[in-house]
Order: sequence, then C-alpha cells, then structure tokens
Amino acid sequence: MSRYRGVKDIPEEEYVAPGSALCAGCGAEIIARHMLKVLGRDTIMVNVPGCYAISTLFPYTAVKVPYVFAVFGSGAAVAQGIRDGLDILREKRGVNNDRVNYKVVVYVGDGAAYDIGFQSTSAAIHRNLDFYFVCYDNEAYGNTGFQLSGATPYASMTSTSPPLGDSVGNEYGKKDIFEIWRAHRAPYVATISVSHVTDMLNKFEKAKEFRGPKLFVALSICPTGWGASQEDTVRIARLAVETGMWPLKEAVYGEVKHTFIPRRLKPVEEYLKTQRRFRHLFKPVRRDEEISRIQREVEEYWRRVWEKELNR
Amino acid sequence: MSSNGGMMLTGNAAAAWGARVSDVDYIAAYPITPQTEIVELLSKWVSSGELKARFVEYESEHSMLAGAGGAALAGARAFTATSSQGLAFAFENLYAVSGWRAPMVMVNVSRGLGMPMTLQVDNTDVLSVKDTGWLQLHAETCQEILDFIILAYRLGEDRRVLLPVIVNMDGFFLSFTREPVYVPSVEEVREFLPPYEPPHGIAFSERELAYAPTIILGHSYTYFRYQMHLAALKAKEVFYEISRDFEKIFGRSYSPVEKFMLDDAEYAIVSMNSFTSIIKGAVKRLREEGLSVGVLKINMFRPFPVEEIAEALRGKKGVAVFELNLSTGGGGIIYPELLKALYHLDERPKVVLDFVGGLGGKELTYGEIRYMVRRVIDAYRGGEVSPHATLLFTEEDTRRMIADMELAGKSWGGF
Amino acid sequence: MYRFRFHGRGGQGIKTASRIFSTAAFLEGFYAQDFPMYGPERRGAPVAAYVRVSHEPIVIRGYINKPDVVVVGDETLLYDPVADPLRGFGGGVLFVNTPLNPNLSVDGEVVTLDLTGLALEHIGRSGAISAGVGAVACKIAGFSESSMVDAVVRELEEIGLPDELIEKNVVVAKESYRGVPSFDLDSLPSLSESDFLETDIVHVRLDEGEVGIATIANLGNSAVRKTGNWRILKPIVDYSKCTGCKICFAYCPDVSIHMGEDGKAHIDYDHCKGCLICSSVCPFKAITMVREVKVM
Ligand code: SF4
Ligand code: SF4
Ligand code: SF4
Repeated sequence: MSRYRGVKDIPEEEYVAPGSALCAGCGAEIIARHMLKVLGRDTIMVNVPGCYAISTLFPYTAVKVPYVFAVFGSGAAVAQGIRDGLDILREKRGVNNDRVNYKVVVYVGDGAAYDIGFQSTSAAIHRNLDFYFVCYDNEAYGNTGFQLSGATPYASMTSTSPPLGDSVGNEYGKKDIFEIWRAHRAPYVATISVSHVTDMLNKFEKAKEFRGPKLFVALSICPTGWGASQEDTVRIARLAVETGMWPLKEAVYGEVKHTFIPRRLKPVEEYLKTQRRFRHLFKPVRRDEEISRIQREVEEYWRRVWEKELNR
Repeated sequence: MSSNGGMMLTGNAAAAWGARVSDVDYIAAYPITPQTEIVELLSKWVSSGELKARFVEYESEHSMLAGAGGAALAGARAFTATSSQGLAFAFENLYAVSGWRAPMVMVNVSRGLGMPMTLQVDNTDVLSVKDTGWLQLHAETCQEILDFIILAYRLGEDRRVLLPVIVNMDGFFLSFTREPVYVPSVEEVREFLPPYEPPHGIAFSERELAYAPTIILGHSYTYFRYQMHLAALKAKEVFYEISRDFEKIFGRSYSPVEKFMLDDAEYAIVSMNSFTSIIKGAVKRLREEGLSVGVLKINMFRPFPVEEIAEALRGKKGVAVFELNLSTGGGGIIYPELLKALYHLDERPKVVLDFVGGLGGKELTYGEIRYMVRRVIDAYRGGEVSPHATLLFTEEDTRRMIADMELAGKSWGGF
Repeated sequence: MYRFRFHGRGGQGIKTASRIFSTAAFLEGFYAQDFPMYGPERRGAPVAAYVRVSHEPIVIRGYINKPDVVVVGDETLLYDPVADPLRGFGGGVLFVNTPLNPNLSVDGEVVTLDLTGLALEHIGRSGAISAGVGAVACKIAGFSESSMVDAVVRELEEIGLPDELIEKNVVVAKESYRGVPSFDLDSLPSLSESDFLETDIVHVRLDEGEVGIATIANLGNSAVRKTGNWRILKPIVDYSKCTGCKICFAYCPDVSIHMGEDGKAHIDYDHCKGCLICSSVCPFKAITMVREVKVM
C-alpha cells in the first residue's frame, strides 16, 4: 500500500532552504525538496557541476543536509568512497554515530548521468553500491547555456543543435537511461516527474526497502533552457506524462511496471508547443514529418505497454 | 642492514607493506603496469584477513582516485597506487582530493606518458602533477618507499597540513628490484602513527558540513587556495618533527634532502629517485679519479625544500642537475625550481647546468655521469654555459637508433 | 575616458545592453571595451557590465570602481548589498529604470524612466529591457540616434532575435532614447578621478584544522538571501477562496509557501521568486498576481 495518497501526506520537514540562486520555476528544486523530505535528515548529498551546484555557492547553501561537491564525472565514484569509508569506520574502527549510517544520494543533471559520468555510474551500479542516484533530467547542459546532451530528445533545439537550414535541431534520439540502468539488474529503477509528486514520494519511499543501487531519472522542467513560461513548469511536466512522452514506471530487479498508464494519449504537439526549443517544428512552417515521427514513437511504446500490462 | 626483521622485497612489495603496516582502512585499485603488483598483494592480504581493510577495484583511475578521496574525506585511512597514464587520467581528481583537504597516500610508479607509449620510467608523469596540491616524496630505495609511506600518512594527517601525499618510485628500476627491506610491525607503526580522525571528516567533524562549495568571488577563492599553499609549506617543518619521532622508533632518519659525499666537494650533482644510486656509485669512482664531486638528492619535491638546497649547495663551484624528465619546450623540470633556491644566495654556485637522461629507462652510464661533471668544471673555468638542458645521448644510443630506423623503413644517417 | 557601469539582474539583458552601448560608441568613432561579470547564478541574480569609451586607445581592463555613469536596469538593486550599484559613484550621472519618481540623495545627476513599462507596452514582456537600457546609455553619452539604432539591430541579431522582435525593440529603444536627456560628459567632475584603488596588503597566515578548508557549516543559510526581489509579478492568496489543499505548497520550488495554523497557504515574500507556479496549480484559482511595486 502506498504510504503517500495525496499532497496532504507530504512530510512537513524541509531539508532545502529558500534563497537559492537557481532560476525561478526550476524543476530541479522541486525534485530535491521531495527527495530529501523522504530520505530525511540522515542523508549526505553528492553533487557535481550542473545547475543544482548553484544551490551551494560559498558562503551560502540551500541544502540542509551535508553535501560534497565532486568533479563532473565522479559523482557515483565519490559516493562509493564515502559509503565504503563510513562502512569501514563502523565495521573496523568501531565508530558508532549517526553519521556512519548516512544514506548517500548522488544528485546530478543529465550531463553527469547520461554522458560524462556514465561510466562511473555504471560501475557503481555494477559493484552493487548501496546508494541513491537521482538525475534531474533537463535534457541538455543547462548550466552552461543549454547545449546538446545524450538526454536531449529528437528535434530539440539546443545552442549546439540550432535548427538552421534543413536541420531539425537535435538529429539524435534520447538515450534510454532507464533501460540501460535496468539492464544492470539494479534492485530499483524509477522514472519520476515534477508533476506527479505523490508518485515521486512513494517511489523514494519504496526505494528505501532495497540495499544496493536505487536509480531515479526525473523529468526536470527547465523554463530557462526550454524557453517556457516559469509558471508552466508543472503543467508541462504533466503534459509530458499525459502525452506519453515521459512514462512513469519502476523496475524492481528488472521487472518493469508502469505506475501511471494513460488510457488515451494526448497529442504530443500539446507538449511540444509549450516550449521554444520545439518552436521550429511549427514555425515558420509546420514540419509534419518530424511531429508525426515523435507521435509514432510514443504510440509504439504505449502499444507495447498496453498489451503487456493491460492485456489490451 | 641486519637481516633482523628484513625481507627481500621489490619496490612494489615494499609499497604494499608500507600500506599494510600503516593499517590502512581502504584501498582503491585499478591495474596498470608497472604498479599492479602493489594492489594485487593488498587484495590478497585483505582476502586472507591479514589486513583488515576494504579493497575496491574501480573501473578507471579517474573513479579510483575520486573514491579513495571520498573515503578519506569520510574519515578512513585510504591508499591507492597508479602510474603514468593512470595518473594523467585521474588528474582533475588530484585537485578534488587536495581541495577537500582529504589526506591519503598514493604511490606513483613512475613511467613515461604516451604517445608513443612506453612502460619504462620517465618522471615527467609525477612532476607534471607538482601543482595539484599533493605533497611529493621521492624514493631512491625500497626501504625508502616503505618508510616514506608511513611518514606520508603522519605528515598528511597532521592537522596543520591535511593534504594528500604522493610517494614516487621509478618503474622497473625500483618497482621490480628486490633488496632487503626492514618491515616494522603494525604495533610499532601504531606508536608512530596515531589513528586517523580528520577534524573536518564526514564522520568526525564537530558540525555537519557542505564540502567544497563552488566559489564565485576572487577573495574567497584566493584565501582557500592560499591556505593550501601555506599548509604545504608548513609540511616541511612538520616533516622534521615527525622524522625525529620516526628515528626514535625505527632508527632511521630522513630529511627533505640527502647529502652524499657533498660537504667537502667542490661540485655537486643534483638528482632524485632511483637513478641517484647509480650516480652515487659513479661519484665514488670519480672521487678516485680526483674529481671533487658529491651528490644532493631531493627526497621531497613538494613542498620544495628551498632552504635546504641553498644550504647544501652554498659555496659550490658548479652544479649539474640530472633530470629523468623532460618538459617539452622547457627542458628539465627540476632546474628552474633549483635556480629559485639558489638565486638569492650570496655564495651561489657560479654555474648550474641541466642534463636530461635515462628517459624511457635508457641506461645512465658512467661516461654520461663523468661528462656532466666535466662539463660543469669546464664551464666554471670559462667554458660553454647554457640555460638549455643537454641531452645525454651516447654514440651507442646512436648506433642502436640507426639499426632500428633501418628496420622501421626510415632512412636516417645518425648525427 | 568615460566609464559606464551597468547593473541588472540575470535574464534582463544587461550584458546585451552594455554591448549595444559599446557598439554604438565604436560606430561613433570611439575606442570601446565591454566586459560582463556574472557568476553561475541564474535569472534574477545581480549582474554587472563595464564599458569604457575613449578617444585614446584603452590601456586598462576589468572592473570599474569609479564610474562616471551608472545605469541601473532594476530599481530593486539600488540597495542590494551584493550589487551595490552606487559604490564609487559621485559627481556623475545615475540612471534608474523605474516607474516611480524617486528622491535619491546621491552626489550627481539622477535620470529615471519606466523602461519596464515600455517593454510591456511594445514587446509584451517585462524582462525585455536590453534595447531600452542600451539606448538610454547612448543618449546620456550624446551618441547619435542612428548609431544607437544600428547598434541595437546588430546586437539583437547577434543573439538571434527574430526580425519582428528586433523591430519592436527598436521602437522601445527610440522611445527610451527620446525620453532621457543628454549630457556633456567632459564636464563631469567624476571624470578627473583615477579609477585605480589604493589598498593595503595584509599577510595571510595559516589557519589550521577545519577553519582554512573550503566548507560551509551553516547548512541552509541561503535563507539570508532575499530572493524576493527577483520578482516581477507577485502572487497573492485570496483567503476567501483558499481551501488549504496544499497543492501550491507541494509545487513551490523555493520553499516559499507554508501552511499556516489557519490551514491556509502563506507566501514568504522575502524569498518567493515570483515564478507563479502556485498560481497556475491552484485548483481553486485562489492565487492571483499583481505587478510588483518596489519601494526605494
Ligand atoms: S537553467 Fe534550467 S535547470 Fe538550470 S536552474 Fe535554470 S531552470 Fe533550472
Ligand atoms: S493551492 Fe490554492 S487552495 Fe490550495 S492551499 Fe494553495 S492557495 Fe489554497
Ligand atoms: S510564485 Fe509561488 S511557487 Fe513561485 S516561488 Fe513564489 S510562492 Fe513559490
């Protein structure tokens, strides 16, 4: 039974303080807030270069739990060292305080999860490290001004995939990090979205049951990079789920289950139209081929899910 | 040396023993020639229970160092070892670990950096990380490797220092050479090396902390960077203190530099690492030939022992610097550092010449060593001086090169 | 040499404004140099840009400590200790973008104009003030309107604005240009002063143990930063409609809504950045918005 049935059940404690330097309306802050609400006080956060790094700019920090800053590709490797170090202090040196039992959470953007930190993350999962790895996926390098990453979806404009001439913007598809992680046979892998807070809370809560890698990829709306209105952060995230572009699911030891199954899909263009990064698909001329390619891929995905999980 | 407590050990085995008797808690590993033997031995001891520690093999040196540093920051005594390419791959994490002020020890088994790839020694690997905030101790013998590791933990963990340390040995010439090494017991070492409890460690700090926040403004960046520099400078003073304790317990003493037949010599050869033994041997014979020459060995490269070098070389007529390294377009890497130590000296040596040799494990011959000394004496008497490094390349090297070039299908006539 | 210092908030286009001004100077035949300074902060955080304009080649660079002209793109910055726009100012010209008629006691000429209003009127976006700010600076310096317009077009093309938006910006720029007076900069008393700072050196000592290590011990201390002044629009809870459903609380990225003892949503205006997510998610339409009026 789910522990959180609605927003009424959201824990009161806040482990994130106001006054951060992140953009108004940033999705990564909503995720951090709820993640820490569930993981709680005895958590240490490993962070790397990326937007959330500006939560902690000397002499200020918005993070109320201990925090370690690592180099871009080393989030999971530093988490490994900290976890192992605390364990050995307990086991060998008999250190017995709350600190040695910290939960270690790596909170990083998509650049660090899909690209530069991919190797170290894969290796930490492979070594069955007992940690949480949470990616706030804003689908590009937001911290440096929105360049293409392995998480950028097909046809998105970024500052290094400008849709000039015949270009569609990003010509590659988005890496399926959920499936890549799942292939490692991690105990728990989940997708989450800033729009579905209860789903998010329950997934963090469920992850606590497992020893080993607990991996999350969160759709993190980025009004600045996506060219969207700040107030629309939640609405866009919801559209991503309802158009089927961002499935909400989890995999326990590789077994996939969707935690939200839309019965019918809203057209993807409802989602695409909310963001300037897809504007070239509609203006100056509508690019039906690209739009229907995106629509088709989403439908194919859901047809398989409906068959498997709804016997439809 | 008596055989009491002594064992015939390679440099690599001595390094592993150094970590073992220091009672390390955490070993982060990744294989690379010529270092691999160190972590293999440690992994064996951890499996058999002879060493109570956690051993983790990472997927790269980049992660290995991040992990070792993370464990050290947590409050565990961490050890790792690497060489050349591995050190280069880990480069940005060298700054991360020192910036966290997480003391740990890394053994570097020195090897040239490709391309072209080599397995053989070239100290350019370790000297190219001289600015990363890691202290550096350079070993000439297998005993020094072991002793320096123990000293390095005590030095780095001192609350006035709190910096990581590299202990360097030359690949092959030390890593695979066996000689007698006195291995102290864990209990003896414990007397010298108290348990590691960093004042800012994750498990030990008085208050919970945010480590290494990003710094925007120049004044705070400058302050914290400069604190690392001051701590590194302080490490020299601390080194004297701890080597006095070390001598009391173990009967061996070390200083940042070592003088060999130097005090009464008119000329000096400056050297580091294992090739110093070859130079010492040659100097004995040069003395017999009537050349008044001694050796100054640099044990500690970071912090750079400026005062000790100035004192040791004061009043010498000339100095030859032997460099088993080459900074492309610069020359030897020790040379400019050494000149800094000498410049303000009233009785500074009249000539200081730089020589590059031994690269890629190329044999350092008696003829080359005598050549360096003769060149310095000649320069002192008014002969040629130059700020550029002279390459030690022999006629025999040329003959072999001609043969190789022919086999490689390149026509080359030699020099 | 004339030293212009621009202050604004990230996202307002202050860097572009400074570039418009220096390009116009260049077109007018001056030597010019522009230099933006910003941290990794996002929209809303204070940003500065420095422009030097001279008849002679410029042999200095970096910060401007004693500006002849200070251009403030956001009135809330005037008393912001981080931005500190009046630092080193005296005897020159101060421009402030504001709809109010402030009574500022500063040593120098004060000029104001409601650039935000103009941007809202012609472009429909309150943040689009770069052309206006640039144009005002051009006018203060006495550059021609044609150089100013030329510079606006060049710089906005450079950042990839579509033609129709550039046209709207030119309209704003011209109105802004015409809305402020021009000055004879050569007669400003501030001009004679050197920009060099006299400073004393102290000797930095080793701080042992944890002190000298880059860490923060006050976890959560970002709350001392009042991000409330980033707001352009202000959310207001209508307590007759608020049911206390907590939805706005769940989605506020900046921990700026708490549920009061009355069971209703309360907004922390010291920190609320004005994203208006709360307003858009409230199922009862209980959160409305008004344009922020900032008291100087
Ligand atoms: S750029 Fe995007 S992800 Fe980064 S802080 Fe701004 S809104 Fe958040
Ligand atoms: S969402 Fe609306 S009704 Fe619900 S608590 Fe907030 S203001 Fe009140
Ligand atoms: S506008 Fe609403 S959601 Fe946004 S920061 Fe302010 S209170 Fe929070």
